[in-house]
Amino acid sequence: MKDLRECCLEELPGPKSQADLEDAKIPYEEYCRRLFAPGREFEKPESLKGIRWLSCTMYIFTPHSVANLAELGAEVIKIEVPRMGEPMRHTSPFNEVYLYPMHDSRPMTGTGFGYMNANTNKYNITLDYHRPEAQEILYRLVKMSDGLTECYRPGTFDRWRQSYRYLQEINPRFIYVWGGGFGYGPKVFGASYDILGQAHAGLASITGFHEDFGGHPTKHTNWVIDWYSGTLITVAILAALNWRRKYGLGTMIEFSQVQACTRAMGYTVPLYHRFGVVRQRWGNWDTQLCVHGIILCGKSDYPDEVNPQLKYDARYVMVSAFNDPDFQELCAVIGRKDLWEKYKSHKQRLAPEAQIEIYRALEQWAADKSRSEVVKILTDAGILAMPVRNDKEVYECEHFRQRGTIRWMEDPTFGDVLVQGAYSAGLMSETPRRVKWVWRTLGADNLKIYHELLGYPLSKLKEWSEKGII
Amino acid sequence: MREVREIEINSFADTLKVRPWPVTPPPSKEEVMKVYARRKAEEFGKFTEEILGFESVFDKPEALQGLKVLDVGIWRLGNAFASSLLAELGAEVIKVEPPTGDPLRQLTPFGREEYMLKDAERGEPCGLEFIAEMRNKYSITLNLETPEGRELYKKLACHADVIIENYPPGQFDEWGIGYRQISKLNPRVIYCWIGILGQWGPLKDRVSKYGQWMLEPFAQAANSYIHNTGFPQDLLPRGSGGDPTRSGVWIADYAAGEQAAVNILAALYYRDEFSGRGQFIEVTSAEALMEIMDFDISWYGFNRSIKARTGGWDPNLNQYAWNPCKDGYMMIGGQTDRLWYRICMCIERELPQFGRLITEDPFLKEIAARNAFQALVKTYTLTTMWLRENTRAQVEKKLLEYEVAAGPVMTIDEVAEFPHFKYRRWVDIIEDSNYGELMYAVSPNSYQHRTPARVKWMGRPLGYDNAEIYRRYLGLGYEQLRELKEKGVI
Amino acid sequence: MCDIIWCKKCNTVNYLDPYYFWNWEGKVQCAECRTVYYIHMIQGFMYAGPEEKPGEAPDILPLYADKPLDGYTNYLPGTEGRTRPFQCQPREIYLGKPDMVKFSIRGRPVRGWAPQPPSTGFLGSFGFAWDVEKLSPEVWQEYQEKKKRGEVKDW
Repeated sequence: MKDLRECCLEELPGPKSQADLEDAKIPYEEYCRRLFAPGREFEKPESLKGIRWLSCTMYIFTPHSVANLAELGAEVIKIEVPRMGEPMRHTSPFNEVYLYPMHDSRPMTGTGFGYMNANTNKYNITLDYHRPEAQEILYRLVKMSDGLTECYRPGTFDRWRQSYRYLQEINPRFIYVWGGGFGYGPKVFGASYDILGQAHAGLASITGFHEDFGGHPTKHTNWVIDWYSGTLITVAILAALNWRRKYGLGTMIEFSQVQACTRAMGYTVPLYHRFGVVRQRWGNWDTQLCVHGIILCGKSDYPDEVNPQLKYDARYVMVSAFNDPDFQELCAVIGRKDLWEKYKSHKQRLAPEAQIEIYRALEQWAADKSRSEVVKILTDAGILAMPVRNDKEVYECEHFRQRGTIRWMEDPTFGDVLVQGAYSAGLMSETPRRVKWVWRTLGADNLKIYHELLGYPLSKLKEWSEKGII
Repeated sequence: MREVREIEINSFADTLKVRPWPVTPPPSKEEVMKVYARRKAEEFGKFTEEILGFESVFDKPEALQGLKVLDVGIWRLGNAFASSLLAELGAEVIKVEPPTGDPLRQLTPFGREEYMLKDAERGEPCGLEFIAEMRNKYSITLNLETPEGRELYKKLACHADVIIENYPPGQFDEWGIGYRQISKLNPRVIYCWIGILGQWGPLKDRVSKYGQWMLEPFAQAANSYIHNTGFPQDLLPRGSGGDPTRSGVWIADYAAGEQAAVNILAALYYRDEFSGRGQFIEVTSAEALMEIMDFDISWYGFNRSIKARTGGWDPNLNQYAWNPCKDGYMMIGGQTDRLWYRICMCIERELPQFGRLITEDPFLKEIAARNAFQALVKTYTLTTMWLRENTRAQVEKKLLEYEVAAGPVMTIDEVAEFPHFKYRRWVDIIEDSNYGELMYAVSPNSYQHRTPARVKWMGRPLGYDNAEIYRRYLGLGYEQLRELKEKGVI
Repeated sequence: MCDIIWCKKCNTVNYLDPYYFWNWEGKVQCAECRTVYYIHMIQGFMYAGPEEKPGEAPDILPLYADKPLDGYTNYLPGTEGRTRPFQCQPREIYLGKPDMVKFSIRGRPVRGWAPQPPSTGFLGSFGFAWDVEKLSPEVWQEYQEKKKRGEVKDW
């Protein structure tokens, strides 16, 4: 039976306008391309317009939770310590990469790339909460904002009379977020970082090569858990905003980053409880699928390049052939039909001994080949394989360019910057995310916020500035 | 408090018994109050526990009450995690599976069927990975390969606020049930496709010649995550840990899932507040993980640097690493001058050499200069000289006295028994009507004043909710469902 | 001794990084005076050594060494014949200090160098535009020349 609603607008079925007709005719890929229209984000509205958020945050985790809002269109005001700024401004890979200036008064100090992506589109002001004058300033801001995210040690904001206890009285619609390591409980004052989360919550114990293969627990690259937990807070914030739309009340969200890390461990938790099995590391292979792992090839794709990452490390391939016909084909391609005879079922292939034998055979086969040769042979045979790409190859990848997930932008303060944040967090057809600026210099918007928004006279601001309050 | 049983392992069968948890009781409220008192935060601590406490989760309303979500995805965790997040916050999530079930149900570590759980009613084995992410979700079966199944699906889609889908690019469109068609029937729908690389573009998702899907860690490989993770070949030999390394979990899927949830909720806000219309969202694991890989790509655009792997260390911060200690690995972090010198003070009490070689060295005086690679080698060599004399617990205790962040690398059994985690219910046990007692990782969004996330059930046998859902939304009765089942539609 | 070899002959500290040497046996050469030491480490402890082995060839060099009595002068990783190279690096060159960059890799100006001329308004406020031509005329000039030479690209 046909659904009646399909043709209830007009009596005739089919497209209703020229545009409809076009839409229905074009190939799907083209349709998506037109709908998402990368590069034309600024022609579309923003989903969180009108939301104002305060960001009393440091490092990556909490700043990122707010950056997500800023990318979606909220107006975010980031508050930092005067003069010094937050620690992430002083963080840069091997101390090499900075954009200048950090602040007008410190011409030789830049803001390190550690600050990148987590502070997108935020306005930046400075304020020293320790000073009694700061309280009134913050209260004024709270009255005209929708929420605040902070990451100070529990109780610190309370001591300064700016915790949820006090702020909800000023603004009952206020959504107050604390993000940190542990939250209430015996280790409440334990500080936390991304890497601590990875270690403490068990993720490190299942990442890396097993001891028996010579490995150690391996850190997920740059602060992945910081970013991941930051986004989880954003989920909570948006849900709270959604609830507040209906019921008018703010809330407090307490978020433990370390806990977020345990949440991402899949079967590890129930497996331990039901069967006492403590999950271990399993290197570059998969515990639940085989063949589904990364193999080392004999030759680099760029033996003559000077960059060591290209010269020595462009040698790894991700291979996946866990279904029976795929595995059979793979065995045929590498000339080891005996492996197929031996391991005809997925269950057999998954046994640790079998995995060791199969991956060893694959690496032996690849020992005299380059990475791209391996990928080509397997892809031509219809098997899924992909080179393990490095940053250069990601940058040069046509796919990401066309989708607009990596792009050059002219930052209003710093000039030509390559960005991958925001645009890669998902395409939205109506209200796409966007990057307006990568970050602002320290206190760049003091005048705008303190004078123009909060109405403090310039003379007062000057006085505060001299006293080091702002 | 639940009764804790001792178990004795005498045979293989005994190993399959449910483990006691917690083995030792969690700290009491009084003990924790003493901790708050240390920083004069008793009142605040009490207030916090009162308004946020995990015990009161079910006393509070749900943030997304009334939101109807269809999760039409199989194989991957991206869609599963996205719909879990919404389900934990109160949305009604219906997982639409093919009559053969989501293949993820069949996955189990090392193929061990004894680690799959059988439901009480039908005894069908189901893998733990699937059960762990099947939170608060209903399961129905629907064969979208049949025209009749697709008609049913269209009707169901008209009820949905959100549809999360992950089939190969264009598959649903070809079937006439993609965004292009569904949005005509239900303009309010927020339709989210989650994939590995994309449904369009030169490298869009492929399936193999024999129809095998592309799964994680392909996304990690595509966006340079794997290249950047692992120990350098200079610190461990290649082939024995000194290689680019994948995450132990399908981390890119988790990243995609949460970003999908963010985009969905933002679109929902926009729909309800402003436009009244839904939209199309596309999130891919490779890109979502790339977003969270920091400045890596920007760095290449700055001076052609290609991020290299650094093992347990961090190239941007010092100290900020884990290193081996007496009984495992210990993470220490403290980058600002204040923390850096506190670490020094703590270590030099027992290892005066550390104080001398670190605090005296002029190159280590400035916060940024300490990030240089040689500074890492020096700092961590000396730190490990101290660590090797200490167990994880000792290090943690000593450094916490100096208010320095320190955490042991723990395995899951240690995580489950860590006092703070037990007190807060990091992991908790649910008595599920289908699968019995199950331990699960509590949602970190469960600690909220008004609308905390919660877990109501874990796992669902295949098609368990067919009768209810089809009755409720499509008005189908017993006879009709029987007929559909015989025809292979559901 | 321990994870460092403090060579008493030349007062140089050779740092033996914790992962490589956690369990290790072999000969290490002092970066300064090139004395060869035999060591055997188990779980981070020096089980045997350091013991001088004159005339023998070393298995490995330390990654880093410095001289505390000499104002902490040092040998960076990869100093030929003294410290071993560290290949897993982002680039062929290693600075360890801020890289002064005026142009992005596609040849457009980026503010990656210090000092920057002050351009702010009241109380450190910054506007939303960087006037390169006015503030850094020499970079602007170079940029124009780059453009003429076709060194400015889209990607």
